[in-house]
Amino acid sequence: MKLRIDAELCEGHGRCWDLLPELVDADDHGHGFLIDPDASVPPELERKALEAVRACPERAITVE
Amino acid sequence: MYAGGDKSALAYERSACPMDYFAKLRAANTTKTEEFPGLVVLSNRSDVEGALRDWETFTSAFGGINGQDEPLIPLNVDPPEHVKYRRLLDPYFAPKKMASLQPAVDKHTNDLIDQFIDKGACDFSEDIAVPLPCSTFLSLFGLPLSEFDQFIKWKDYLLRAEAFTSSSEEADALRRQTAVDVCTLMATEAYARRAAPKDDLITYLVESEIDGRKLTDSEIVRTCMLFFTAGLDTVTVSLECIFAYLIAQPEARKMLAEEPGSEINLVEELLRSETPVQMVSREATHDLVLSNGESVKAGDKVMIAIASANLDPNGLEGADTIDVRRGDMRNFAFGGGPHRCLGSNLARMELRTVVRRWHDRIPEYSLAPGEKVIWNSSVLRGVDHLPLVWAK
Repeated sequence: MKLRIDAELCEGHGRCWDLLPELVDADDHGHGFLIDPDASVPPELERKALEAVRACPERAITVE
Repeated sequence: MYAGGDKSALAYERSACPMDYFAKLRAANTTKTEEFPGLVVLSNRSDVEGALRDWETFTSAFGGINGQDEPLIPLNVDPPEHVKYRRLLDPYFAPKKMASLQPAVDKHTNDLIDQFIDKGACDFSEDIAVPLPCSTFLSLFGLPLSEFDQFIKWKDYLLRAEAFTSSSEEADALRRQTAVDVCTLMATEAYARRAAPKDDLITYLVESEIDGRKLTDSEIVRTCMLFFTAGLDTVTVSLECIFAYLIAQPEARKMLAEEPGSEINLVEELLRSETPVQMVSREATHDLVLSNGESVKAGDKVMIAIASANLDPNGLEGADTIDVRRGDMRNFAFGGGPHRCLGSNLARMELRTVVRRWHDRIPEYSLAPGEKVIWNSSVLRGVDHLPLVWAK
């Protein structure tokens, strides 16, 4: 499983970095970015990753 | 038209139980309501989500609010100008910046609790929910705590002028006079910061540039004015919503008392399910036909009922139930699209801090005997009083 964040859609609600700090950080504008964009989601974080996807009000973070 | 009693009775019905009120409104599949005659009320999840994103159809650039003729910044400015202001302001309200303000909020919270904890009783609204965001605002703006009473008075005059006057003309005059008073103070402070910079938001605005130029006095004042009207009551009613929920939920109180960190998901779920800011305003820029077949004319005032969308299970299973342990429900408590609340990181930090500190120090409490929770009728859903008691 890989995650993707669409910077065009992100408005900075901050749910992704709140729910999944292991993989997502916030930039100076509060917009989420993947710490390692090419990395696969470790199996033990897959459930949390799906929670972050479900929580995004802009549907900006998706499973690739 | 959705009917169910007179206008003010409907407002109280909405505030007392948004879940039932909005379920009925969505079932009626109409944008015409008795509570908001003449306004277009969008209430289902897909319409709300679409309207928040579609700023070209549903504009926020319709002048000022709360006694202001001029557009507030960035609220009443649409892209592309809006983007410039947000690029400037977002970093000041970013998570790391808010984390650095957290110790001050923590201290304000503890200081407030110190004042009443030994009494075994307080009015949560008057003693915490109202003063805490005001203290935070003063810290953010580099203003002395001696301004506190003045600020509370101004905020009430601006946001609920009707309560202090006997006619709508008087209320309008009071709002306008208060707006002048607040703007004068902000302009005076901005002038002072140019000569003597501090580490505060006004200094940041005074020193900032967009398009290679400094902000004008008008831009600075209209930005400060937005923070004043948006930053105080929203956090107040959010705290009131959270604690009004908790007094009826012993298991949630126990969770908060026993599990530090559990406040994070609880705050998020209650922002969604209680939605303190029930609606946001827009104006239609052109004629259109909505998904239910109703037509909207250019210039129509539109209310986007984010509270309704947050509770709409159509498109998000489980949205019509509350579970304070989950934090993964998509919601629009802070709006959405380009106008998504600038202060969301500040609000979350304040709410989490108060809920944490309170339950560390007062783990068990209840509504004072003989008292009832009486919701106001505002689209900012709160209570004027919340008398609580606990064992001394």
